[in-house]
Amino acid sequence: MRAAALAATLVAVIAAGLGVCPSRIWAQSAAPVPLATDGDASARPWHRYHEWPQRDSVKFNTLATLASPPPPTAPRKLAGPIAGDPALGAKLAADRTRGGSCLACHVMGPAGGADLPGNVGPDLSEIGNARLDDETLFNFIHDARVYNPDTLMPPWGTHAIFNDEEIGHLVAFLKTLKAPAQFKSELDDPAKRPPPVEKRDNLDSMLNPAMWAVDDKAPALWTEAGPNGAACASCHRDVPQAFKTWAATMPRWEPRLGKVLGIEEFVTRHARATTGHAWPIESAENGALAVYLRFLANGSTIVVDNESAPAKAAYERGEALAQRKVGQLNFACVDCHGAGRGAGKWIRGQWLGQIRGALDHYPTWRTSLQATWDVRKRFQWCQVAVWANELPPDAKEYGDLELYLAAQSNGLKLNVPGIRH
Amino acid sequence: MRPLSRRAALALGLGTAAAWAGASRARATPSEADEAIAKFTGGKQPEPGRIAIDLPEIAENGTAVPLTVTVESPMTTADRITDVLVVADGNPNPRVATFRFTPMSGRAEVATRIRLNATENVIVVARTGDGRFLTARKEVKVTIGGCGG
Amino acid sequence: MAEKPRIKVAKEAKKGEVIEIKTLLAHPMESGLRKDDAGALVPRKIINRFTCEFNGTLAFSCELEPAIAANPYFQFTVRVEESGTFRFTWIDDDGTAITADESITVS
Repeated sequence: MRAAALAATLVAVIAAGLGVCPSRIWAQSAAPVPLATDGDASARPWHRYHEWPQRDSVKFNTLATLASPPPPTAPRKLAGPIAGDPALGAKLAADRTRGGSCLACHVMGPAGGADLPGNVGPDLSEIGNARLDDETLFNFIHDARVYNPDTLMPPWGTHAIFNDEEIGHLVAFLKTLKAPAQFKSELDDPAKRPPPVEKRDNLDSMLNPAMWAVDDKAPALWTEAGPNGAACASCHRDVPQAFKTWAATMPRWEPRLGKVLGIEEFVTRHARATTGHAWPIESAENGALAVYLRFLANGSTIVVDNESAPAKAAYERGEALAQRKVGQLNFACVDCHGAGRGAGKWIRGQWLGQIRGALDHYPTWRTSLQATWDVRKRFQWCQVAVWANELPPDAKEYGDLELYLAAQSNGLKLNVPGIRH
Repeated sequence: MRPLSRRAALALGLGTAAAWAGASRARATPSEADEAIAKFTGGKQPEPGRIAIDLPEIAENGTAVPLTVTVESPMTTADRITDVLVVADGNPNPRVATFRFTPMSGRAEVATRIRLNATENVIVVARTGDGRFLTARKEVKVTIGGCGG
Repeated sequence: MAEKPRIKVAKEAKKGEVIEIKTLLAHPMESGLRKDDAGALVPRKIINRFTCEFNGTLAFSCELEPAIAANPYFQFTVRVEESGTFRFTWIDDDGTAITADESITVS
């Protein structure tokens, strides 16, 4: 009974859509795909999701603007030895409200109970034996760039995350660290902790709620008529065959908009141009279709264009953006995800993945949040997590970055939706 | 609405499950877990054994940790498992669920997904058809996220 | 917000076979400990009981606490001796019951 009703809807919708459909759409026409080129694909002005930290980091770099204060040119001179409280220093070192705490990157003896410390930075458990003077320790925390311009250390002092007094307490604590950390179990020791292996069946609807978009939501949206009477189904027949590889060629440079278009923004602009549907990025409808369109291309090889002139320029911009330090914590994408930097290491209890292979499973179900995230939302979160202001999800900078990331995954196979922490 | 534990609230770190996020939640003491178990066994002492608990060593977060409990039993009328209690000794309310098996069950086995507040023990107590009790426990480390808040 | 329960159970089985059943219900399992943006506690609202009956007889059941994760999932077994219908029931704190039926042919 349900099949008959669906067939009837399809017939009506196709009939309505015939006026909208360019002829021979199924014959791989070379005509440009209809896109609404006016307006934005998400809300303006962009307001941060209300569940996220609402810190305004306007004084620091974003991927669109440079605003951070310049690094100091020389180490600060201290008037005399530091009189800090090591007990307060131990507390501050483990304080997760201060940029994740020192333990995010460092093993530090007994600090935080040696409970799952990270290892992006060196083990500091015996730094008290290194006979570094107070001034050196102070400057390392205040702004390590005076010793190493390429450092991953956030400029805790220059960027006003810790004040001088607090840095003094941290220095006093560091000077007490003279013995290796005592771990309660091997799982706590980042040197011995086994990297996580993703073995879940991400396409099992009983395990991955992101699959419900594929099972129910997207097929229903596909036949839902928009304001002008047409639906996706009006023009797109034989969907599984027609979309077997399309998603693996996205994102793409779109000359009419002068930016890289990801699937989410493509859905917004194409749906509006053809059916009149209003499906902005991060709406439930857009999300469901974005998962569905990639699912249809699962198993196909990612092959995005980063060689034709405008795409190459976008790729190079994306590569540069991945290297830009942003936010009060002053991190670039490559600091956590670049080989030889954070990739393959632990940030507290979380393992850091590398750039290649980052995109083949997006959008992904996030178990920690019980929600499906597309890659633009992931970009936005990474920004907020390093205390930087995020951009709207359809920002051109995010398009360049997505093209760079996708090209780094060229040759891998799509496997969407993913399931991750 | 259920009252929170009497214990002084411990503000637990960010990075734990969003479903619990924003709450200052008290951690149950082992004795609250023991109370729940004693209520289930009527005060009888459970014996260790015959229960397999499948849980990850480290959970990526505490929101939906997969748990499978299997109790060795032929599940005949003469020799079967009737009820299984699952307790998490670090959750604000230590009781997780009580599973009831019947002569139609075939196996004393159940899989589900549970919420864990933080690193803690999951304790399983099974009741046999002739009123004896079995128990097993496993510690799960709930990982701490890198980014803070 | 009413999503159909998702159930995986064989359509056919042999007499005496122990079959595996998987059930999933979309439900937030609001624990009562979560705070909304205004800082107020969101009241508890969970599925507190789940049952599986076969041809009217109880085969499996459980009583649930807020520590069962959102979108409650249960995988369990039933020994089937005859053809018939499984009825799955989820009971919400607010008293509503959600049911779903699946039939099986046993030869």
